[in-house]
Amino acid sequence: MAYVLFTLSVLLVMGFVGFSSKPSPIYGGLALIVSGVVGCVIVLNCGGVYMGLVMFLVYLGGMMVVFGYTTAMAIEEYPETWGSGLEVLGGLLVGLMMEVVLVLWVLSLDETVVVSFSDTGDWVIFEGEGSGLIRGDSIGAGALYDYGRWLVVVAGWTLFVGVYIVIEIVRGN
Amino acid sequence: MTPTYMNIMLAFTISLLGMLTYRSHLVASLLCLEGMMMSLFIMTTLIASNMHFPLINIMPIILLVFAACETAVGLALLISISNTYGLDYVHNLNLLQC
Repeated sequence: MAYVLFTLSVLLVMGFVGFSSKPSPIYGGLALIVSGVVGCVIVLNCGGVYMGLVMFLVYLGGMMVVFGYTTAMAIEEYPETWGSGLEVLGGLLVGLMMEVVLVLWVLSLDETVVVSFSDTGDWVIFEGEGSGLIRGDSIGAGALYDYGRWLVVVAGWTLFVGVYIVIEIVRGN
Repeated sequence: MTPTYMNIMLAFTISLLGMLTYRSHLVASLLCLEGMMMSLFIMTTLIASNMHFPLINIMPIILLVFAACETAVGLALLISISNTYGLDYVHNLNLLQC
């Protein structure tokens, strides 16, 4: 299906509307995880295999788990889901309606919606003795440790200071 | 404007609106902040793939790293609020009294 990337991006927007309509945070976390999975599939569709893996591991596997059990600490007795109460349901319906109208408007234009999102493909190296094969995005991310040496050092130091700050905050000054 | 890029920017805007409006919980705004970071990650990764410019891939990774750090600090504040007030309701934050 030629429209698969567009359909996935529409599903991404619908997932974002799902947690932006602010239900109780445990349901918001669920919508964020679903949006994350859809976003990861979008990235994979465009050839970003390494970036999709990083997003799955670090983002969904790490941060959402932390969000999950932190939210479990701050939960109330009757969490508010999308069907309970008019505010959340109204926000969700307005967002979905807006997205449907936008999709119909875009499809009614006579432009070429079937865009050729060709992936990065594999970069074949012809140099020296023999030939090799590299993936574009993993090589690009690997350049972080080559051209961006100082950035890695600064980011590492920042994270260390950040962890120290987190410990001090939780300890209560 | 390619419709997929339009949808991803729309997702960013929807998360931004969700973060700026408060209902009862504070952690819901943190979730919307996470959504913003995720949409930025997807956007920059798609641009790096479609322009065949692999070096841009450094930016989403660094963005994700600092977003994780920011999440940790936000959750730590949430925990300290939850320890003081019991729940993270926004109307509990009334020290400023304005």
